[in-house]
Amino acid sequence: MFSRELKALRRLDPRQFLLQALNYAGGMATTLMFWHALCLATNCESPVVVVLSGSMEPAFYRGDLIFLTNPASERYHIGDITVYKVPSQDIPIVHRVLETHDFFDSGVDQQLLLTKGDNNPVDDTQLYGGLEYLERKHIVGKVRGFLPYIGYVTIAMNDFPRLKYALLGGLGLLGLLQRE
Amino acid sequence: MHTIWSRINNISALLSSCMMGLFAAIALSSLAQQFFQAPLDPSSVSITSLKVAPGKGKQSKVDHALVQFELDANLTPLFNWNTKQLFVYLDAEYTNSKGVKNSVVIWDRIVRSKSSAKFHVEARQKYAFRDVTGFRDSAATYTLRYNLMPHVGALVYGVAGSTNNSIPFPPLAKNNV
Repeated sequence: MFSRELKALRRLDPRQFLLQALNYAGGMATTLMFWHALCLATNCESPVVVVLSGSMEPAFYRGDLIFLTNPASERYHIGDITVYKVPSQDIPIVHRVLETHDFFDSGVDQQLLLTKGDNNPVDDTQLYGGLEYLERKHIVGKVRGFLPYIGYVTIAMNDFPRLKYALLGGLGLLGLLQRE
Repeated sequence: MHTIWSRINNISALLSSCMMGLFAAIALSSLAQQFFQAPLDPSSVSITSLKVAPGKGKQSKVDHALVQFELDANLTPLFNWNTKQLFVYLDAEYTNSKGVKNSVVIWDRIVRSKSSAKFHVEARQKYAFRDVTGFRDSAATYTLRYNLMPHVGALVYGVAGSTNNSIPFPPLAKNNV
């Protein structure tokens, strides 16, 4: 089944190989540029996030893909579903805003937020690592829309690292060896 | 052109394009339907009892408000082919004497089917309504809002009903509640 690919591998000369590698690198660079342009447009460090836990069921299940924006001038309201990161941990958490307190004094626009997962019995105070309320700077973005189940591939790749290496290795080989 | 790899490639490309087209059609059609729909009948929100309980030190450092309310809502027009669930919540909004604007959710419910979208609820609050910034001498408006979560597409927020006038907080209850 791989006889054609093995023949191509034997016939490969350095110039062709370098040309393929250049095409490959060009494609990756374009993808990276689009991703960063999206991050800038939405003012969000990761505008597409996969839901990792079941704390927002039945709204979001593990593996759903959600789209975030983080407009700098907009305040968050209760009922918004936000993704936030507590400074002590690096895991983004997708929960709904339960309380907001907006301070307008002395030119400082400060907003304190309290969140809770729909499927959790209590609010998130215990997850805040010592803080009583979240501040605006902890919020990564607000959920605008979502696609079901698409992100399950990334969860599977995290749970089975060999799958990730196999997929990436296979794709890399195919990309380098194919002529078209 | 006729190897198995190119066939798998073509089929999977066609499949993903068709699925994206289908998702876009579902999402856009349900948004368009909501845009052209008649507005909802306003739900009735009334507060039957409102008390302020003192903070007791160890358990609760700040004063609490204890609210009992009555809701009557009919949200059945919101259920279409793309509605997964409705998240309905009752919130209290007030601006206190120091100029701090507060919103607190005191009750919520997940509505998963059209039959349960018409409800009459007489209950007390689900979540603690804490006096974090001071609600002495201020008044709160209680609004019933909904969040429509689709199977595919954008989330929609709306207002179902409200106590259109604000209800002042009573002074601290003298006896322990």
